[in-house]
Amino acid sequence: MGSAPSDGAGGPLAVFKILVAGGFGAGKTTLVGAISEVRPLYTEEALTSASVGHDDLSGVGAKTTTTVAMDYGRITIGKHLVLYLFGTPGQERFWFMWDDLSYGALGAVVLADTRRLGDCFPSVDYFEKHRVPFVVAINCFDEAPQHDPRDVRIALDLDPAVPAVLCDARQFESVRQVLITLVEHVLASRAAGTSRPWRTPVIRQA
Amino acid sequence: MSAGDKWDAKDSGPVVRPYAVTGGRTEPANGRVLDLIAIVVASGTAAKTDDMMAFSPEHRKILGMCQAPATVADIASDTALPLGVIRVLLADLIVQGRITVLPHQPADERPHTDLLREVLHGLRAL
Repeated sequence: MGSAPSDGAGGPLAVFKILVAGGFGAGKTTLVGAISEVRPLYTEEALTSASVGHDDLSGVGAKTTTTVAMDYGRITIGKHLVLYLFGTPGQERFWFMWDDLSYGALGAVVLADTRRLGDCFPSVDYFEKHRVPFVVAINCFDEAPQHDPRDVRIALDLDPAVPAVLCDARQFESVRQVLITLVEHVLASRAAGTSRPWRTPVIRQA
Repeated sequence: MSAGDKWDAKDSGPVVRPYAVTGGRTEPANGRVLDLIAIVVASGTAAKTDDMMAFSPEHRKILGMCQAPATVADIASDTALPLGVIRVLLADLIVQGRITVLPHQPADERPHTDLLREVLHGLRAL
């Protein structure tokens, strides 16, 4: 659609941040792409032992970062509300970026691949610990065995209040339903006082 | 790619190192790390052309993008510059009074929940 937040000029504008987490290959970029135009974002990663031997550090002793690409999408609702979906880098070496990404987030979607359910444990732990409301979306890959969401819920030891739903990350309608479930859950956990406050930039009408 | 392999040109990244455009600075001048969805907008004061020459091409490009309210993420994406670099450049413009960051609405305000209900209705109507 290409509409920028600035399209809301003249009306109030509010921007919300939603995180899409899950293991490597769980379908995060696919999910973001199913409901919004995916845009690239470059960020920096702290140099780790993985970089040694690849990044020439001679003469740049203070250099501590190297560039990492990630994706995000933007959904414009009406003329003045914008949702940003950020795919969180799945690999553990990018964990330091999560605090930055999750700051002020409205909530999160944890994408689960039932063939590798363990991959989403770290995301579930992180959002529970930081009191970020989240839903678990079980991505139904064609080749993966189908599981009852109740079984997945038990396997992940989810809090009874946390929704777990089946989804097809390729389908707009399915992803839309996941986001609706998330926002409903955020409203419910807010009413129950169990979620931490999120922060949203709002342009007030003068 | 394992450590110790020989270094291919494609692995070497951009020709100009990202932080070259900040003069090597990695910290925002005002010490404030902007959120990804913080909204920045150019200040009302009209910029004089000669003043503009004090800024780098990247500063001027960002300033142009801020004529309408824009988020930090969109500015970073549109300029293809890393987020950390954009934060440093935006801080320069903030310190110079060229752009301002729009305030966040505290989450405990009542309208916030109403806004969220609007999001919900909007998603259902997508």
